[in-house]
Amino acid sequence: MSGQRILMGVVGRPHGVRGLVHVHSYAAVPADLASYGTLHDDRGGGWTLTWRGQGIGELRGTDGQVLRDREAAQALVNRKLYVERDRLPEPEPDEFYLADLIGLAVHENGAVIGNVLAVHDYGAGSSLEIGEGSRSLVLPFTRACVPEVDMAGGRVVIVRPEEIEVRPDEDDVGEAAE
Amino acid sequence: MARSVWKGPFVDGYLLNKAETSRASGRNEVIKIWSRRSTILPNFVGLTFGVYNGHKFLPVQVNENMVGHKFGEFSPTRTFTGHSSDKKAKRG
Repeated sequence: MSGQRILMGVVGRPHGVRGLVHVHSYAAVPADLASYGTLHDDRGGGWTLTWRGQGIGELRGTDGQVLRDREAAQALVNRKLYVERDRLPEPEPDEFYLADLIGLAVHENGAVIGNVLAVHDYGAGSSLEIGEGSRSLVLPFTRACVPEVDMAGGRVVIVRPEEIEVRPDEDDVGEAAE
Repeated sequence: MARSVWKGPFVDGYLLNKAETSRASGRNEVIKIWSRRSTILPNFVGLTFGVYNGHKFLPVQVNENMVGHKFGEFSPTRTFTGHSSDKKAKRG
């Protein structure tokens, strides 16, 4: 995990003539992007962000200088902003950063069956999408289905739940419940 | 226009039977359903359904805040994955 960089945002178009820029934050709470200290871009630069409005920020370089004018801001458009993984706060027990989960090897009955491709959450609990050869498998992220998450070992252990298919009967088109 | 109250919430009848059977078994199981139109009822709370989105069955762990919504609301048919950044997943 050490040394890993996480994409946290991207610099957008300039705002005004005083060197301000639109910043698209990918953080769970967008305003938190400014709280992570120095943001590194993909060309080796370091920037400190201060919000000056809704989605509008002032970027200060590692030399302490802010962007002087619109041209300087224009030069940074589409620059990706990263944070080192070590700077993120420790998650609660049984909470995991998606960036840590994605890519872990998936073990089932002692054999590696694939990798975690994505973590979904559409309001009904998290689920792991696991690449299994050319197919993918989606499992609920619960203690029953994912009993072990070993970050140090880079692996998760899964137990597939039983699957019951419920197909509609032809004469049973629906009913109102009491 | 909202559905008439006297009809009660719509739910495909076969789901009710299967939910009862699954609850009684107490096993770790996912009930795969195609019925995105069915309303989530209080007796589904605690069960996990795999709701078909036209491509795969997405797990829906039913909790009490979801009662009254439809299954399809939790299994989007168009996916935007976004960026992981500092987002977290909680193991249920």
